[in-house]
Amino acid sequence: MTNQRSDDNNNPLLNSGIEYFSDEVKRSGIMNYRSTALPTWCPGCGYYGITHGLANALKNLHVNNNNLVIVSGIGCAGRYPFFVKGYGLHGIHGRALPIASGIKMVRPEFTVLAIGGDGDGLGIGGGHLPHAIRRNIDITYILFDNAIYGLTKGQASPTTPFGQYTKTTPYGNPEKPLNPILIGLAYGASFVAQGFAGFPQDLTIVFQEAIQHKGFSFVVVTTPCVTFDHANITYQRFRNIWKKIPEDHDKQNLANAMALAQDGNYYNGILFQDHRNAWHDVQQSIRKNTSITK
Amino acid sequence: MIQAADDIVIKICGSAGDGSISAVEILNRAAALMGYHIMNFDAYPAEIRGFGKSVGHTRISRSVLLTTGKYTDCLVALDDVHAITELSTMSKRGVLIYDSKPPQYHQEDQAVAGFIEPGMIGYGIPLRELSTIAVRSSRSRNIVALGVLAALLHLQAEYFETAIRKRFSAKPETVIDNNINAFRLGFDYTLQNVNKYDELDFQHHVYSSNRDSIIMSGNEAAARACLDADLRLYAGYPITPATRIMEILAKELPLKGGFVVQTEDEISAAGHVVGAGFAGARSLTATSGPGICLMSEMINLAVMAEIPSVFIDSQRGGPSTGLPTKTEQSDFNIAAFGGSGDSPRPVLAPTSVPECYLLTRIAFDLAECYQTPVIILMDFFLSNRFEDIDLNQLNSNVFGRFTPQTAPLKDQPYLRFEVTDTGISPRAIPGMENMFHTVTGLEHDERGFPNYGKANHLKMTAKRHKKMETLVRDWQETGTFGPEGQLDVGFISWGSSVGAVMEAISLLNDQNIHSGGFFPRLLSPLQTSHLEVFSRRCKRIIVVEMNYTGQYANYLQVAISKRMERFTRVDAEPISSEDIVNWIIKDES
Repeated sequence: MTNQRSDDNNNPLLNSGIEYFSDEVKRSGIMNYRSTALPTWCPGCGYYGITHGLANALKNLHVNNNNLVIVSGIGCAGRYPFFVKGYGLHGIHGRALPIASGIKMVRPEFTVLAIGGDGDGLGIGGGHLPHAIRRNIDITYILFDNAIYGLTKGQASPTTPFGQYTKTTPYGNPEKPLNPILIGLAYGASFVAQGFAGFPQDLTIVFQEAIQHKGFSFVVVTTPCVTFDHANITYQRFRNIWKKIPEDHDKQNLANAMALAQDGNYYNGILFQDHRNAWHDVQQSIRKNTSITK
Repeated sequence: MIQAADDIVIKICGSAGDGSISAVEILNRAAALMGYHIMNFDAYPAEIRGFGKSVGHTRISRSVLLTTGKYTDCLVALDDVHAITELSTMSKRGVLIYDSKPPQYHQEDQAVAGFIEPGMIGYGIPLRELSTIAVRSSRSRNIVALGVLAALLHLQAEYFETAIRKRFSAKPETVIDNNINAFRLGFDYTLQNVNKYDELDFQHHVYSSNRDSIIMSGNEAAARACLDADLRLYAGYPITPATRIMEILAKELPLKGGFVVQTEDEISAAGHVVGAGFAGARSLTATSGPGICLMSEMINLAVMAEIPSVFIDSQRGGPSTGLPTKTEQSDFNIAAFGGSGDSPRPVLAPTSVPECYLLTRIAFDLAECYQTPVIILMDFFLSNRFEDIDLNQLNSNVFGRFTPQTAPLKDQPYLRFEVTDTGISPRAIPGMENMFHTVTGLEHDERGFPNYGKANHLKMTAKRHKKMETLVRDWQETGTFGPEGQLDVGFISWGSSVGAVMEAISLLNDQNIHSGGFFPRLLSPLQTSHLEVFSRRCKRIIVVEMNYTGQYANYLQVAISKRMERFTRVDAEPISSEDIVNWIIKDES
């Protein structure tokens, strides 16, 4: 990933003459959800697939651009808001969730998406996740998990596998990786799903469900870093290991979801969802009753 | 120095749980009902239980009060061991009221009566016995003591009874009756058995008792300002001495359609505030030094991304966790300069409880007008001191009118950070039609896109500083105080120390030492022209503040050539006018 583009080109716009989008993409209608700025990601980055999946979900849901707010942290994923037609806040490393929550609290009519990488959301910002989950604030948090620090050029992250060689772990990573799905379930999120950047169509379905879910939705997207990770998450390795969630899986059964999260497989789709009151519903009851009822 | 008979400092000292603080609360209310001014500042340890010393400290006066007074004229001892440690603050002819038959046996050398200095006057009253008669326990010794005080100082009993009724209005009728009984017993006992030979005397005066006044602390004033300013989101993390603001808003704000959220830490609190500010809603958090440290990065983001947001820092002793229940003014540096890069932001400093209200209200206007975080520097003393406030005081605005600029919808493409003469870019907020933009903590161009070009960085840095220049131009309050013309001594001070300096100025002028003051409420950016005009009038300039290094003096000194002297204190107590006056007189003579 390089920042040269925004450095040198003061006008990284579509009409700069670069033919960036295919005719098929232009016809699809997702351009209504893409800004004219060109992504700063490396060619082949998994984030393109995620972007495509998300733009399609926004299009299918007819989300009002004026009410669309994307908040991001720092890292390669942090640049996401610039590429979306809507309002964006590219904030501080690890702090997308508090900022996104603040926005949603005062403007409940907004569609608020929080976006960040594995270092952003599980490392520096890991302390915010349980509390956004606890509040069940109605935002969608998309964790771009490439198990590496990309923007700083290839250091270990909280999801880098044990023993993997990176620039800061030249003798192999001495620490065990976190399992974000298991964390989300254990913290008690009301919506937990996962997907793979190589399957944008599946991501679209998951994102649609996540955005429509009333409450905090946690979506972990595993995504290859083609520049700094040639061993762990690669398209080649990952394309074939994903499994469908078993037909008989009950989405409301937390124990089953946790079992799936720990069995060593990658499951594509929604592992858990329940329909408890979201933050604003509870706040309404505070106003009506001046005290909370269950 | 013995105060005039109608200006008396009273302390009620006990162990935690003895009711010293609530007795002073009733005393304040009664005094205010009689038309007196009060200023009350209690002292208690950071620990909740465990026999800590708890001191209710109030000053009652006919005239407007600027400080709580350095010397105690009347000390009520509910706990002898703790009261002994308070004797050093007594005035030379101070009055001590102690329990002649205290509930706890203590060694002979721990009876407060044994420590009375020559010239002081002690009255031993059987507080415990009288309490036992009234309520069959020693629980009401504090209320009995109030009766003794009222009888001794010649204050009208019926106002105390009204105050007691109000204090216990949520309790059953029997509780109120018991307390009034206890008060009466103390009052009558004193009239019948005590031969008064001290000089403290309110002479039963009652001044216009229907003044439109209410007793309020700085924290309560700030919370009220938030409610009146149409705050939409309070996000906070509990921390002494700011917590009370959150507690009040947690109760009141939802009823006015706003939200309160207790976050997992101060970083998150500041994040919620910045998020809500970005979304166009008024938002605030209140914290203290350790919290401001954690919020610094988010404040820096709000500077860079030009997001309206308001932060109250009620300072306590530092550094680190420091002295959680003591007052200090040592967060100026972090408020004005905290964070990386050149990061200008307005810093406001109220000097009194009413100003905690006024400046909190105006802070929201500033934040929106200049699209910036605004920091309000309160401190433990301001947060926790109670003053009687004339409600009309809360309607004044001497600071100026600050109106935000909204971007016209037709402007396309929208430049969120358009460079203008004032530095202020017309603002669009999310939800507006087609005014799409992304703000960022990265350096950006006028559209908001990341841009690391050197010419651009210079242009945008200048733009952010230009806003502060515009603010200095728009800010109307000059901060000058005292007589016009040449001054022997010119004081510069800020925040809660200003009251003591004002008092010192009037004492010095009485002694023909011509004195005046410059007390900016807008600490930063600096009103250089006002400072220059003031400094030219002064033979000596003395900067008074509660920190070790003279943080504000350091900031001012670069702006003017005249040398500044520093009067600084970090002794965990508010600065007193006596200390300042003694320091000046020693030098002048």
